[in-house]
Amino acid sequence: MRIAIVIAALCLAACGAPQAPVVASDVEITPPLPGRPMSAGYLVLTNNTDADVRITRVASPQFGVVEIHETTIEDGIARMRELDELLVPARGSVTLERGGKHLMLMRPEGIGDSVLLQFFSDGAPLIEFEYRYGDN
Amino acid sequence: MKFSKLIFACAIGFAVAAGIFLALQMKQPALPSSATVLQNPNPVPAFELVDQRGAPVDETVFEGQWDLVFFGFTHCPDICPTTLQVLAAAQSALREQGVSPLPRIVLVSVDPERDTPEVLNEYVDYFGEGNLGITGPLEGIRGLTQALGIYFSKQDSDDGNYLVDHSAAVLLIDPEARFSALFSGPHVVGDYVHDLPILMGAR
Repeated sequence: MRIAIVIAALCLAACGAPQAPVVASDVEITPPLPGRPMSAGYLVLTNNTDADVRITRVASPQFGVVEIHETTIEDGIARMRELDELLVPARGSVTLERGGKHLMLMRPEGIGDSVLLQFFSDGAPLIEFEYRYGDN
Repeated sequence: MKFSKLIFACAIGFAVAAGIFLALQMKQPALPSSATVLQNPNPVPAFELVDQRGAPVDETVFEGQWDLVFFGFTHCPDICPTTLQVLAAAQSALREQGVSPLPRIVLVSVDPERDTPEVLNEYVDYFGEGNLGITGPLEGIRGLTQALGIYFSKQDSDDGNYLVDHSAAVLLIDPEARFSALFSGPHVVGDYVHDLPILMGAR
């Protein structure tokens, strides 16, 4: 889906209130493949505020574990590491893409049609949205 | 009359010159844009591993067709499926162009502990028919990768969800089982579609 359904954003927009602080777009989650109990999540997070936002945790009821990872290729070697947090700079954005930063979704708890993703900043819920497999 | 003959002669001369120029241009061999070609193709070393059906395979499995060989693992969510998707997309683009024979896609597991033949079988099938998966004892995998200049290293993890660092390259193995060219990445479909017919036609 081009623009993720950010519930808070839609509500605020409908009410004519200011933009949501953080908006997700260009969301794609790869379906768990046969024999591979994990998925990758790609998206763009845009920060509409004047302060940096740090995403410290991502969760999903459909996956036992969601981690923020980064793939780097240096000297021909692909490495993947977990990141402690994801910085969305003030009035800027961060892109999670193939071969770069991405979400690693592990231990799927039943494979349905959609995934609910919840982003937290220092324990406080920031945004959440539902993604339907194949929508991108 | 003489003037028109001169014009005619000039036109003929120009056409001949243009023809020679074009013929010379066409004689220029096309060069790969992305792949690194090995001046001396390197024979795949002897090995004894298993394929995705658990059947024994050795170096002769690379004889008789072109192979695009990637070293990865099924618990790798980002770079491995992305690379295999690029190879599968390139293969189908070449098929549409009528290129024949097409290269086979091969995944050599660098995580044989978790990548049993059963796991690998479902995984390689997902990216298309006719793909080959290779796994087996770690020492066997290491012997093959070291001889081909491929690196991998298992990373420690607290929760058992370990990751494996590995070379990102895709190797092109010729029908005589010789490592003949290298795509070092980032892997882009267009590079493969451009380079493979040149590389496979060159021998």
